[in-house]
Amino acid sequence: MDLFLQNIVNALQWGSFYALIALGYSMVYSILMLFNFAHGDIFMVGAYIGFGIATGLLALAAMAGLPVPGWLVLVLTIIISMFLTSFVGIFIERVGYRPLREAPRASAAITGLMIGIILETGNLALLGARRLSFPSLIDTVTFQIGSVYVTNKKIFIVAVSLSLMFGLHLFIQKTKWGMAMRAMSYDFQAVPLMGVSINKLAPLTFAIGSGLAAAAGILYGLAYPVLDPYMGILLGWKAFVAAILGGRGSILGAALAGFLLGFIEIFAAWIFPSTFRDLIAYSIILLILTFRPHGFFGQAHSTQLRL
Amino acid sequence: MALLRVDNMTHYFGGLRAVHNYNLVLEPGHITGLIGPNGAGKTTVFNLITGIHTPTEGNVEIEGHNLIGHRPHEIASMGIGRTFQNLLLWRHMNVVEHVKMACYSQLEYGLLDAFFGTRRCRREEKRITAKAMHLLETFNVADYSSRLISNLPYGAQRRVEMARAMATNPKVLLLDEPTAGMTPDELNRMIDIIRKIHRDFEVAILMIEHRLKFVMELCEKIQTLVFGEVIAEGTPTEIQNNPEVIEAYLGKEDVT
Amino acid sequence: MDFKGESAKNMVNKKASQRKGRGVKAWLARVFGRIPLIGWLMGSLGAVLIEYFLGDALSYYLGLPKIPVLFGSSIILKKPALIPGALAYLLLVYALPVSLIAKSMTRPANRLARLLASRPVSLATLIHLGLFYLILHLWAEISDYRLLVLKLTMIAVMLTLSINVINGYMGEFSCSHPGFMALGAYGASITTLLLCVDDKLMGPALLPAAAGPWLFPLALIVGGIVASLGALVIAIPSFRTRGDYLAIISLAFLFIVKSLIENLEFAGGPRGMSGQPDYAGLPTVFIVMVLCVWTINNFVRSTMGKALCAVRDNELAAEAMTVNTRKTKIVTFMFAAFWAGVAGGLFAHVLRYVNPGSFGVQRLAEILAMLYFGGLNSVTGSIVGAVSFNLLSEALRPLELYKWIIIPLLFILVMLYRPTGLIAFTEFKPRELMRPKE
Repeated sequence: MDLFLQNIVNALQWGSFYALIALGYSMVYSILMLFNFAHGDIFMVGAYIGFGIATGLLALAAMAGLPVPGWLVLVLTIIISMFLTSFVGIFIERVGYRPLREAPRASAAITGLMIGIILETGNLALLGARRLSFPSLIDTVTFQIGSVYVTNKKIFIVAVSLSLMFGLHLFIQKTKWGMAMRAMSYDFQAVPLMGVSINKLAPLTFAIGSGLAAAAGILYGLAYPVLDPYMGILLGWKAFVAAILGGRGSILGAALAGFLLGFIEIFAAWIFPSTFRDLIAYSIILLILTFRPHGFFGQAHSTQLRL
Repeated sequence: MALLRVDNMTHYFGGLRAVHNYNLVLEPGHITGLIGPNGAGKTTVFNLITGIHTPTEGNVEIEGHNLIGHRPHEIASMGIGRTFQNLLLWRHMNVVEHVKMACYSQLEYGLLDAFFGTRRCRREEKRITAKAMHLLETFNVADYSSRLISNLPYGAQRRVEMARAMATNPKVLLLDEPTAGMTPDELNRMIDIIRKIHRDFEVAILMIEHRLKFVMELCEKIQTLVFGEVIAEGTPTEIQNNPEVIEAYLGKEDVT
Repeated sequence: MDFKGESAKNMVNKKASQRKGRGVKAWLARVFGRIPLIGWLMGSLGAVLIEYFLGDALSYYLGLPKIPVLFGSSIILKKPALIPGALAYLLLVYALPVSLIAKSMTRPANRLARLLASRPVSLATLIHLGLFYLILHLWAEISDYRLLVLKLTMIAVMLTLSINVINGYMGEFSCSHPGFMALGAYGASITTLLLCVDDKLMGPALLPAAAGPWLFPLALIVGGIVASLGALVIAIPSFRTRGDYLAIISLAFLFIVKSLIENLEFAGGPRGMSGQPDYAGLPTVFIVMVLCVWTINNFVRSTMGKALCAVRDNELAAEAMTVNTRKTKIVTFMFAAFWAGVAGGLFAHVLRYVNPGSFGVQRLAEILAMLYFGGLNSVTGSIVGAVSFNLLSEALRPLELYKWIIIPLLFILVMLYRPTGLIAFTEFKPRELMRPKE
């Protein structure tokens, strides 16, 4: 029972990463009907940008001799990195996806893959092959609730992800741009006729998605402080699974499916030997999809790839 | 014995009743029309007969063979050919390939023949190519045979679709609005074409049609479907003078 | 100037002559337009013979340390001082002999091509393939590196072509190909390790060593069958769902397979298996690749294979026109997975080592890149995609890291200008390719 609760805490943390990344996939899908396969690598870039900002801020504070508290640095890092990484997203949309808007979906997907490889290699070329370790900005404090151990980092990670998701929800429900996005996901053709420019909406979507990925990257760095240029690949593909599992283009679905995937993986690793994690976890996903072929929140219409 | 026989067919989509107690007896060589306002469930009737949906209740038989529970492709090879209201064609295939594809169930070679390109495979391909070309000539589209379907004018696409349906060797042909989107000129041509296939291929035809002129000219019997129920059935003149039909259908629709 | 490139150039020339262009293209068309494929093969044979017998001497006189291995790419990228020598070598050994021999043989080559055209197409194909193999064999004799590159390229052709059957002809976005490949690689490796060699994992050989090479095709078939049985896991859900959902089903399959083989302790677990016998020589790989191209091309050109396109473009219409779509889907997945498995088996025996790490999402990205670069729905496209990707990535090897910036950029450029890939939606007709040009 204790272990069970302990694993729930772990799963919440692990699911947060998937959920934040899956949101980016899902948002881009709902606007442009394509999957941004560079998204996992944007997550990686976000983590690295976060690393740079955090180290920079720490150095700055040390130079000025100010006793800046760690949590402040962390919050600043997240905000600045989200902002900077969103420009990476905008840039990718501009050079990679906009010229391909009329092209077959699969070519856009391949372009995404290629952009991802460029990001990984570019990172490797800039920073070399050594692994960086993310600065530990806040000291780990462990709380004991009953017999379950929870660290302040875990609480922080889950809290930040949930509040980001809530913020996104508010943005989509309450603002003009959010409304345009929702409209767009209902009818791809009609919205451009209604005076909402897709050339503004698409970069905005990429920016938000990339910002969320950057937040996920920094939170990931906080939990697992070793960064390497290929860290985004597997996480990206798995978040892609979550994004579709939640129903394409469904924001709530993507978030929930992200957490679900986190739970399945953590519990598979808990119940079975941990090397069996992927085997069990994805067999479950496969079974779910075999019996609910359209995910959890997606409409049951068959899509054909636009060739 | 009736060629196509539908008994008390009822179908629900979720809680929504789409078709209720539909009956049909189609004798060999007869042409029956199915009319009714939009959303009356006419295409659903076609989809139920061809096995795309399985009826909640009721029975469909062709030449005494029960069709319920069979997959659509089996029903098609048992002798029910159809066309679609909105032309379901294959975008990346050329015209002759369309017609050859409809001969799929008549192919007498196996997968291994296809993999290794055996003599039997080549012979069969040659046979169905000849058959397809013959059909294309019947429908006056042989000149387009090697063109991509999407490069054809609309009327020609319709005729290719019909040639494709005929290639399945149907005993019953279901035509779903064969004149949708046609000019009056093309309409007259379509009447000739349907007469010709009716005569040359000796098929029975069930067709959904909106244009009454067309139905009146071709059909021996007409059914009127409103909200999934047949409210009237009879010869064209009977239908034309039936007050219920006039109220439910003719009164509202733009009659041409 | 690989030999596939020669035939492609040949086709470009043919087209140019029809267009009546001006300038270099028209000149090329005038001079080379009438040489049939067999003429180019003869020219290439001459070139590789020259390299085989005179290559060492020539490179010595041109000041090169040894024969340029991959068309001088590493010299050009690494040692600028030797560039003139390398270019001269390329000119003397490849460009001049190929073009001169092909040109001077125009008339006899055409006569031969006419003669072959009047015979059954299988005979002509065999003669062309034999000649082509001879060229490859002589070319690969120069160094082991060339041999390895050739074998891996042929395996890539098989992978790209087989994924094209699913992703191109049937229009699904399947991500499971590395998984099929892994199943094939492990299936074949376990068979050969168990039966043919003494090793630590599988114990002593069960069969005498002499039987080994003869059993190798059987091992490949075992690998292929294992892969196609695995494909059922994806084929059955494909009855009810398509597109994105099937994409993640196939992706989940890939993760499952990878995790499964990581946990197979008797197959080495995450460390993988090594010591596969050296059965995958160039002739074997070549023959298997030809079989793969041949059967896939036959299939997709038959009406039974065109049913894939019908299912892709409109499944409802396909069903209504008597096409058994479920059978079509199962056959497609199993058939493509079979060849992916065979390719995996070859892969394991060429490298004589497999580990689960080779079959991850990176491999998937590579296969997808080759496929979409070459073009969907086209056997030629897949061959061109796989060959150009492999040769390019070998030729740019001296750039080390930057290779992985240049190649993706190149691919993005191709996607921008030809969104469907280099050669999409074409039929590969051997008869056309081999026809006389006069």
